[in-house]
Amino acid sequence: MSYTEKILCTKSHEYVLKGEPCIVGLTDYAIEQLGDIVFLELPSVGDEFKKGETFANIESVKAASEIYMPVSGKIVEVNNALVDAPESLNEDCYENGWLVKVEGVNDEDFTDLLTYADYKEELE
Amino acid sequence: MVKETYLHDKHVNLGARMVDFAGWHMPVQYSSIIEEHKTVRENVGLFDVSHMGEVFVSGKDATEFLNKLVPQDITKLDYEKAVYCQLPNKNGGLIDDLIIYKLGINSYLVICNASRIDEDLNWIVRNKRGMDVKIDNQSHNYSLLAVQGPRAIDLMRKMGYSIENQKSFTIKPTIIEGIKLLASRTGYTGEDGFELLVENEYSEFLWDKILEEGKEFGIKPIGLGARDTLRLEAALHLYGNDLDEDTTPIEAGLSWSVPKDKKADYNGKEIIMSQIANGTSKKLVGLVMLDKNIARHGYDVYFNGEKTGVITSGCVSPTTGKNIALAYVKNDKEICTGATVQVMIREKLHDAQVVKRPFIEKRNRV
Repeated sequence: MSYTEKILCTKSHEYVLKGEPCIVGLTDYAIEQLGDIVFLELPSVGDEFKKGETFANIESVKAASEIYMPVSGKIVEVNNALVDAPESLNEDCYENGWLVKVEGVNDEDFTDLLTYADYKEELE
Repeated sequence: MVKETYLHDKHVNLGARMVDFAGWHMPVQYSSIIEEHKTVRENVGLFDVSHMGEVFVSGKDATEFLNKLVPQDITKLDYEKAVYCQLPNKNGGLIDDLIIYKLGINSYLVICNASRIDEDLNWIVRNKRGMDVKIDNQSHNYSLLAVQGPRAIDLMRKMGYSIENQKSFTIKPTIIEGIKLLASRTGYTGEDGFELLVENEYSEFLWDKILEEGKEFGIKPIGLGARDTLRLEAALHLYGNDLDEDTTPIEAGLSWSVPKDKKADYNGKEIIMSQIANGTSKKLVGLVMLDKNIARHGYDVYFNGEKTGVITSGCVSPTTGKNIALAYVKNDKEICTGATVQVMIREKLHDAQVVKRPFIEKRNRV
């Protein structure tokens, strides 16, 4: 099963990979639209966010964007390597390009998320 | 309706991401802004800037007419020379910035910003008042291709163009690959290069030919994204960001372009001259961020805990890797080169240092 077959996506282009902890990132479509990524700001371990809240900021050469939590939960790990090399997101936003890991996620939060296939369809 | 240049289909076929810019559907990037930026700094890039306005001004009073529109001294402009100009209103605020070329004794070409062509024409026509001039907007009939970068000369030579007699800021009518065009040694990148003004119907042929002949020099098509980062590194103003109707050329740091001894009157002269003599309340400065944060258009700038101004343009500089910006700040002696100011980014203050402009060494003066 490929990575994208396992993830669930939001219409605002975040993905979550279900598990303990859940893994959260930005879809390849989002990265492609942003272009060259030059800045990434991630939250701290222990921070708690509600679904839909801004938890991170990303900037490409052209523009700054906010990244929203696809689920509610507590940050248990952040991908600090990406903060030092945000451009690597242009190569891989899944296996090594995840943003944060989250615990305490309620199953209800997944119900309105889209499979990657449905997400791609929504974009067209 | 959104307008398309004659090269629109070329961009789409090259896989460009298209955006609406100043009423035109234009390529913002073909591959990557950083890659395209580096291509222009290291080799050569080709831009479609056909959205820009071309207005021909001719007639017995053409020189006198243009001379009362701009602070620059058009009476001193030689044949085939170009001059960077501003178009001030009565208060010295800028309606647009322009390049004016002298094509003949009473014949000029004015290149203006796509976003300002209507305002420019309204203003220019309003100022005509009984003078013997013909104002001919030919924007819809011409395409403008920019060939920019250290290898632009090699490419132009290969295409049979003799550049030996052509210095920067000059324009010459010529024939390249059998096409009649106007070749100007100007640009908006800080690099040496040419802007080629050609009738629409020949633009596709010329575009393809330049890309083909330029292969050995590493040519790539370049979108508006890299055009913006290139001009910002060179600290060239962008109308709408760094220039507007409430900002004079003196406030904008363009004093170098304004003659102090011009005799003729022009719109805004009194205010512009008084600012040269007595100073301004705001000034344009270059900033380099001291952390990883990027200053963007509209962010507030603070000095000693108080708001002093606003960022007008900001990006990552692909050449230096630093985060650079232009900002208007209060004309305070203490906000000088080397001083530290703060930029409000996402509700936090981040240090930035005032630096000399441009942010890179320009290589376009030959």
